[in-house]
Amino acid sequence: MTDALLHVDNITVRFGGIVALDKVSLDVGRGSIQAVIGPNGAGKSTMLNVITGLYAVDGGAVSFEGERIDGRAPHTIGRLGIARTFQNTELFGEMSAIENVMVGLDRHHPYNLAIGMSHGPGYRRSEIAARREAGDLLALVGIADDAAVAAAALPFGKQRRLELARALATRPKVLLLDEPAAGLRAVEIESLNLILLNLRAEQGLTILLIDHVMALVMAISDRISVLNFGRKIAEGNPDTVRKSPEVIRAYLGEKGAHALGA
Amino acid sequence: MLAQVLVSSVTAGAVYALIALGFVLIHKGTGVVHFGYGDQVMFGAYLVLISQVVLGLPFWPAVVSALMLSALLGAVIYCGFMWPLRNASLLARIIASLALGTVMREFVRAYMGPNAWPFPFLLSQTAVSVADMLVVPANLAIVGVSLGVLGLLFLLFEKTIYGKAIMAACDNQVGASIVGVRVSTVFLAIWILASVLATLAGILVAPLLTLSPDMGLIGIKGFTAAILGGFNSLPGAVLGGITLGVLEAIAGTYISSALKDMISYSILIVVILVRPQGLLGGLTIRKV
Amino acid sequence: MIPRLAIYIAGIAGFFIAPHYLAEYHLFQICLIAATALVVLGLVAVTGLAGQISLAQSAFVGLGGYGSAILATSWGVPLWASIPLTAFAVAFAGFVLGQLTLRISGHYLALATMAFTAIVQLAFIHSDPVTGGAAGMPVPPFRIFGLTLTTGRHLYYVILPATALLFLLVQNVMQSRFGRALTAIRQSETAAEAMGLNVLRYKAMAFAGSGFLGAVGGGLLASLSTYLDPAQFGITQSVYFLAVAVVGGMSSPFGAIIGSAMFILVPDLLQSFQSYLGLVFALLLLGFIVLRPNGLASVRLSRYLNLLSPRPAGGRR
Repeated sequence: MTDALLHVDNITVRFGGIVALDKVSLDVGRGSIQAVIGPNGAGKSTMLNVITGLYAVDGGAVSFEGERIDGRAPHTIGRLGIARTFQNTELFGEMSAIENVMVGLDRHHPYNLAIGMSHGPGYRRSEIAARREAGDLLALVGIADDAAVAAAALPFGKQRRLELARALATRPKVLLLDEPAAGLRAVEIESLNLILLNLRAEQGLTILLIDHVMALVMAISDRISVLNFGRKIAEGNPDTVRKSPEVIRAYLGEKGAHALGA
Repeated sequence: MLAQVLVSSVTAGAVYALIALGFVLIHKGTGVVHFGYGDQVMFGAYLVLISQVVLGLPFWPAVVSALMLSALLGAVIYCGFMWPLRNASLLARIIASLALGTVMREFVRAYMGPNAWPFPFLLSQTAVSVADMLVVPANLAIVGVSLGVLGLLFLLFEKTIYGKAIMAACDNQVGASIVGVRVSTVFLAIWILASVLATLAGILVAPLLTLSPDMGLIGIKGFTAAILGGFNSLPGAVLGGITLGVLEAIAGTYISSALKDMISYSILIVVILVRPQGLLGGLTIRKV
Repeated sequence: MIPRLAIYIAGIAGFFIAPHYLAEYHLFQICLIAATALVVLGLVAVTGLAGQISLAQSAFVGLGGYGSAILATSWGVPLWASIPLTAFAVAFAGFVLGQLTLRISGHYLALATMAFTAIVQLAFIHSDPVTGGAAGMPVPPFRIFGLTLTTGRHLYYVILPATALLFLLVQNVMQSRFGRALTAIRQSETAAEAMGLNVLRYKAMAFAGSGFLGAVGGGLLASLSTYLDPAQFGITQSVYFLAVAVVGGMSSPFGAIIGSAMFILVPDLLQSFQSYLGLVFALLLLGFIVLRPNGLASVRLSRYLNLLSPRPAGGRR
């Protein structure tokens, strides 16, 4: 089990008197696409925020590639190879699409402050390389033509894709997606599915996603975990989860589950 | 000796409490931190002076006139600046409140001169001996008025429907307006109330500090008091004010009188860093 | 778009030609504008670029002025060396102050920087033996290469190149990955952090930069005024610098120059209104923040001279 790339071990998170996560464990295997689903308020986003270091755990641990990462600063976790997108797009609104992606590439085309001040040797080379790689990423998600448009001016669907490109810019080992399909039309969800499957196939990228949209979750996940009221109530492949009585009860309530004959 | 120090310090504490009340009222009410509030306190006192000099009124009618003028000022500030800027960036709103304060200060400096004016106390200044300690009636007036104001505000917010409407609008603008509370009217009321409060504080403070354009610096003490008490709590503002007054007096007596102010400002920085929610405030969590 | 090289050549030519046609008074004013612009540039860097509200700028200016003067008077370090040395020390102080941003932002940061300025000013006033206390202290004359520079005409040859150099460096930084990182941090700290940027270190570095520029500006202003008066380094002055930045425009270094020029030349034109100056400036600030929060630099004119990469529509603060 500890062979997993990302290992969430019995974490508990409390906000004041509310228990957001109650001894939840999760393993994400290398190269797999996993989803976490559950009714609103189940604790899904909280778990993502814990993994990326925004929230502290009140119990349990999170490990990445065998090393503990809970309690470490978000930027350190980002540098270890964990990238994420946000539920409410946190794009750099006034910057252009390509500049947004270039921020993610910052670490990979470095030069020191002295060169930054003087525009000395290496400056042009780094900037050109970064710009080119950023352009490739924009093309990957299908918004290459909007490179110079300000992020805040992009339509919603393209903004979501830009978020994805920006997360990919950090060259992550695992990608955490927070409701990537929310607000997307059926056609856009299809193309998102293809992009994610391609990323796994060609780059061996590991993906952990949270979402409500079954057209995404059921279509591409290898494994689904279901949370409700901060606890994991089911886990397995899409078929198993779809038929699980606990899951049906969680989503439809007692009466609904009864009506379905579960 | 310590007891005497404490008794004297309550006066300063009461002043800080009154100013802190105004800050907290505006912040709790409209979400704006009014960096120019200290200058507004100073301006309020000057309004009395202006009423005397320009309108020729004797002292007490001038006080009344100043209170009415400051209500008008509050309305102008809200309608002219705070409401138009309600959706502007945080930086813009901070700068706007700083600018308002500076305008008031420079206006006074230009039209009333940069020098200090003497300002009369409301009650007698001669000390009276009570139970072995010296008490100054004028200072008692300050403490009395502060407590009185707090009491009135408490009654307003807890016991009347208007007060509850205000609190509702502060907590949840959308929810309140759905229920029929006119949020912009509520905010207007808060600004008018806080402005009148500022003038009241100014009238009480001016005799202690002598009236000058730079008297507004007392605003920082008011800030410190507000933060000490938890920036969103009215009773906290009073608690914070008195605490600051006492801390300052103790530091002034036992450490150094000249460094008294430096110690207060340092307290501000320390509190902001260590316990920004103050003594009574609660924590807020940001959802991502 | 006018080629950048042409601008540089025109600038250098103007620099050498001007002293032949301008009187001492005007050259002095130009020096004043340049030194003030440096101070305001520091504010543009920390508040305009990095998005951190700072009311500490006048404290940095005071520390720069007093620091260089004291090093020169008591330790014989000539001003051309003591100003940069002090600036590095003040930059370090700025870096430490910037650590505050780990815990606070927005209103609380404005308050904390206000308190910092108040404390520093009180320190100047109460450190009598070293700083001359409330009465202030004189600034030794600027000596370099055996020459003593006392007039605006002389100091012009030191102040303007120094200012131009620092502006160039800041402009370069803004167009580098560091400028990009700071702009990103200003717009979403959470996202920047998630992408591996050490947000705290960047913000602290921005404060350090504002400290450095403020201190250099302070040292140069001290040389021009030849006297240091602690009353000049309070919260009011921090608000003044903020006003210059807002009116000039905080999103570009050019704004620091426009704003400084306005705030120094306008009083000249209003000779008879000296006592109303403070009021006029305050009203100007109020007017601009309500009506034109982007300042003067956002006007079309700046497109030609603003050397940042072209911004598409929709990209305004």
